[in-house]
Amino acid sequence: MDYRDVLKNKHRIVVKIGTSSLSYPNGRMNFHCIEKLAYVLSALRRRGVQVILVTSGAIGVGAGRLGLTVKPQELSKKQALAAVGQAELIKIYQKFFEEYNQTVAQVLLTKDVVNTPSRNQNAKRTLIKLLDMDIIPIINENDTIATYEIEFGDNDTLSAMVATLLDADLLVILSDIDGLYSADPRSGVPAEIIHSVSEITPEVEQLASGAGSSFSTGGMVTKISAAKICLKDGIDCIITSGSDPAIIFDILQGKEIGTHFIAGHEKMINHV
Amino acid sequence: MKKQTIIVRIEISTLINRDGKVNRRKMDRLAMVLTNLHNSGKLVMVVSSGAIVLGSEKLKLQNVPDSQLEMQAVAAVGQAELIRLYQHYFDEYNQIVAQVLLTSDIIHHPQRVKNTRNTFNTLMDMSIIPIINENDPVSTADIEFDDNYPLALLVAKIAQADFIVIKMDLNGKYMIVPRGNIRALIVDGETELQEKLESFCNVMILEERKPEVEFPASIGEIVF
Repeated sequence: MDYRDVLKNKHRIVVKIGTSSLSYPNGRMNFHCIEKLAYVLSALRRRGVQVILVTSGAIGVGAGRLGLTVKPQELSKKQALAAVGQAELIKIYQKFFEEYNQTVAQVLLTKDVVNTPSRNQNAKRTLIKLLDMDIIPIINENDTIATYEIEFGDNDTLSAMVATLLDADLLVILSDIDGLYSADPRSGVPAEIIHSVSEITPEVEQLASGAGSSFSTGGMVTKISAAKICLKDGIDCIITSGSDPAIIFDILQGKEIGTHFIAGHEKMINHV
Repeated sequence: MKKQTIIVRIEISTLINRDGKVNRRKMDRLAMVLTNLHNSGKLVMVVSSGAIVLGSEKLKLQNVPDSQLEMQAVAAVGQAELIRLYQHYFDEYNQIVAQVLLTSDIIHHPQRVKNTRNTFNTLMDMSIIPIINENDPVSTADIEFDDNYPLALLVAKIAQADFIVIKMDLNGKYMIVPRGNIRALIVDGETELQEKLESFCNVMILEERKPEVEFPASIGEIVF
């Protein structure tokens, strides 16, 4: 049975795009990527798929804007950069989505909102309303006011929690790695992408953290934990590279792209 | 590693429709591409013509001015229009631009050249894209009607640029001229422009000093 077939029938998808895809190393925005993303997501929405975008990059964009090359350590400075960068980020998204006649909305969340029943139901209602209006919500952590107690800390977790909150049927995480590898691709040991995972076992978690090697993208750990949240709630999750957002079309056609964390299966299946 | 400096030579007539109005889509696309080049880490400077064309349009003149004096006055009006145009379109991408007006006789004054170079560097350190034009209103040299290839070359020399990029026509063709004029390349469209600039930067081609492409007669020889 081709487990990827389920990807052909998705109606409400969350797409998470990471800083490495959205920005150049100096933190400034990569318009090629953003334009492609706007094109792809608008096309999907027109086809009748409900799309939610979770974006990163506010602090980097803010730093780029103010000519800072080093990310500040001080919290209030980071928050200030986030405020500047978020404004710029959303303006640019609006501009590119407008080219495809697609309206977008900005929604800034914190962990306390998502974890508190009364507040999360309100947020959910707002987001569903936006989706019903054919609008693509662009979600980010409210870095400007988030403090340790209420921050998610990473947008991988945020995107998974948004997916569960909205009863989405797919989460696509776009980052700087093609998928989960069977070994460290840089170690010289032949490593291949693991195409499907149906259960996140300790072995899988070890692959992500690269126990025994210096391979820890760091990022992969949070992605696996995001996938875990999805699987618990019966949501499929794909992790792949965001260098060309058009890859989303291929994913939705069931092509073997990245690593597919398959929802709703008991046994662990590893296809190499 | 020193950042690549690119001079982009724009002729406003390639961005104006037949009715004399600016083509919004093309201006927008240009601002987007140049901002993205700048975002990707290159130092971008624009040398733009168009003050007289835009000035004539603003003043609703029937004919292009023919006397030197008239041209200078029209250019003064047009220069305000020109920088406003660039500001408007670059603003959409949150990119700040600056206006720099030069006279080409500057080349005879080493101190002024040095000062100008410092100004360019300071602007670029501040992440600003300078929009450079000939200071026609105060120039004593004959105004060549909207031809500023010599100005682009001058700026390239002052800024010690690595490339001159020339927007060739209405249809998205650009010519890339690397320093030393070793090989010039014509590209089609902004995506190809960015790709080629990135790969050009990584390949040092030290072959015979012959351009790959023949320069159109209107451009003459571009060596810097």
